[in-house]
Amino acid sequence: MILEAKDLNYYYQDGEQRRYILKDTSVSFEKGKFYTILGQSGSGKTTLLSLLSALDSPHSGEVLFNQEDIKKIGYEKYRRNNIGIIFQNYNLIPTFTAVENVLIPMSITENELPEDSKTVAYNLLDYIGIVKNKADRPVNKLSGGEQQRVAIARALATNVELILADEPTGNLDEEMEQEIIDIFKKLAHEHGKCVIVVTHSNEIALQSDQAFLLKKGVLASYE
Amino acid sequence: MNFIKRGFLGITRKKGKSLILLAVILILGSLISGAISIQQATSNVEKSVKERLGAAATLELDWEEYDKLSEEEMMNVELENIGVDLIKQIGGLSYVKYYDYSVSTMLGSESLEAYRGEMEEDFIHEGPSMDFTLKGINYAPVLDFEEQKGKLVDGRVFTQEEVDNGTSVAVISKKLAEKNNLNVGDTFTFVNVVYTYDEETGEEDIAASRDVVLEVIGLFESQFIKEDAETASDGGMMDWMDMDYQNTVYVPNEIVLNENKYQFEEYMKTDEEYAEMMEGEEEASFEYYTPMFVLNSPEDSEAFEEEVLPLLPDYYTVVSATDQYDSIAGPMESMSKLSKYVLIAAVIATVLITGLVVLLFLRDRKRELGIYLSLGESRGRVVGQILIEVMVVAFIGITLSLFSGNFIASQVSDTMMKADNNTSNEDVYYYSELQINLTTDDVMDSYEVSLNSSYILVFYGIGLLTILISTVIPLVYIVRLNPKKILM
Ligand SMILES: Nc1ncnc2c1ncn2[C@@H]1O[C@H](COP(=O)(O)OP(=O)(O)O)[C@@H](O)[C@H]1O
Ligand SMILES: [Mg+2]
Repeated sequence: MILEAKDLNYYYQDGEQRRYILKDTSVSFEKGKFYTILGQSGSGKTTLLSLLSALDSPHSGEVLFNQEDIKKIGYEKYRRNNIGIIFQNYNLIPTFTAVENVLIPMSITENELPEDSKTVAYNLLDYIGIVKNKADRPVNKLSGGEQQRVAIARALATNVELILADEPTGNLDEEMEQEIIDIFKKLAHEHGKCVIVVTHSNEIALQSDQAFLLKKGVLASYE
Repeated sequence: MNFIKRGFLGITRKKGKSLILLAVILILGSLISGAISIQQATSNVEKSVKERLGAAATLELDWEEYDKLSEEEMMNVELENIGVDLIKQIGGLSYVKYYDYSVSTMLGSESLEAYRGEMEEDFIHEGPSMDFTLKGINYAPVLDFEEQKGKLVDGRVFTQEEVDNGTSVAVISKKLAEKNNLNVGDTFTFVNVVYTYDEETGEEDIAASRDVVLEVIGLFESQFIKEDAETASDGGMMDWMDMDYQNTVYVPNEIVLNENKYQFEEYMKTDEEYAEMMEGEEEASFEYYTPMFVLNSPEDSEAFEEEVLPLLPDYYTVVSATDQYDSIAGPMESMSKLSKYVLIAAVIATVLITGLVVLLFLRDRKRELGIYLSLGESRGRVVGQILIEVMVVAFIGITLSLFSGNFIASQVSDTMMKADNNTSNEDVYYYSELQINLTTDDVMDSYEVSLNSSYILVFYGIGLLTILISTVIPLVYIVRLNPKKILM
């Protein structure tokens, strides 16, 4: 068990009332598997993922990484050393080139990385499908699919085992979507990573090793 | 790609934004630094001019107040003399470095020839005229020498004993001594002549006379002519002043008092009407002392005045050398005022505008900050990266504006000084009891816009701090949120 959520509660205060987005949600994930969390728009998928990736904290409950509470690890440290995050809108730094964007987390993390980080970054981009001449372009001169590949490379750059992605193909066409999903499968199955993808697409859910459905604050297995 | 490198890349990659920020800082910085430069220059002038004017002060009849009186009132006003006791009391104040009080008289001589400078021929020699000023002193080391008006070059000054006893000794100018072949230790003679004056015929007659024999104990040289010798434009005036001084003879007050008394008594013998009128007047009424106080510093003038005024008899006032400053510093004062307004306006504008620009700058960057945080970057380094971007540009902007502001200041000053100077009364000389001459031009000359290190330090300090604060506050406001909220 690489990641475990226990009794997560998250709500918005709506006047006197609490509107629960997540209610006593528990779930666990293993290495080497490709997970999807399915749910309609507004069901709380982003909320759940942001709790799992320590971008936000739950009102109660805990998230365990390798049996250790991420609060104890430290949110900042956890984000820096233990996970890779991929967003729907890529969230790359527009002033920098693709390779520079990949280099950023490498300078932040405390994980042991190969000496020649630049070569590693180029190789990583190449592996994800960004060739050298595109790697040196500012990221806002790349297509949406290319930008999401750069974001995936960035998530992988710190050599983490846990990848969390929030609707990574939401802005892409179907063909591009499949290519990205194939990358995630490869990362889970060939590289032994734990990949958790939040989506509202049934197609993607069907391709995952295990899918969950988030509905009315409750997370259930989805067959 | 650590935060420092990212910060510097941020500057070079976003040239447009960096240039806008630079321009804003440069323009506002120039205004501020220009205004500060002018402020500083004017206050320097005030200081240096007041320094030149010296820290002397005297007590005089307040003619302005006196002139306000009606004729009738004037008749009834009893003007008190400033007594020695009062002078001593004021002299004892903590502001006073040393002081003297003096009574003077004019005497002629049959044996002594007055110093005429280069104007020898212009004078027609005709018996003993009253060419010499006997200046009485009470302060033995001679105040004029301490104040660099004159300088002892031979012999010695008085001893307190000589002053107290009214010993017949004198310090005369070297030029006068040379002209009359006098040396230290020699004696010379004045005549104190009492004339009668027939109002009908206009004829003068000698009623009485006596010799005043004095021993030369020291020789002095005039100091103030040397300073101004180069500015020969006012040479004529200066020569007269100098000649007057060369023919001044320093003696103990007592000597002068005795001669005045002799004059008075002998004159009374010849004029019965006058004698009757003066009947009953105390002897002390000869003692019209002119006091002179030298303060520790020109800056003490105001405090000194405040303390002394209540001690003075009615219709007397304190006249300080620094009073002249106000009458000559007109054009500069108006500039100082203007620059103060500019400075206040510029500082407010700077805080608002840089604050706004930085805020806009950051609003664009909010998402970027969230991304760095989501990648696990520490808040401190995220703030650090943005600070590098802003502060490096700010530093360049401030450095440039230091020079441009200084340049603007000197241009503005030049034009304003010239414009103002033309409209003000031209080359008025200010002579007073205190005998210091300064022109508006002198004030202009000591005005100088320059950069000094403490000003530079303060300017950098305030400039960088302002921008630092206007950057850090919104930054911290953003960064304290959790990454999800920032990225939303
Ligand atoms: N700041 C907020 N205040 C109140 N409700 C919010 C706020 N942000 C999000 N929500 C609500 O929380 C629910 C879950 O949002 P989210 O996790 O983004 O859903 P999803 O990612 O599944 O579309 C939504 O119904 C949304 O309206
Ligand atoms: Mg969402």
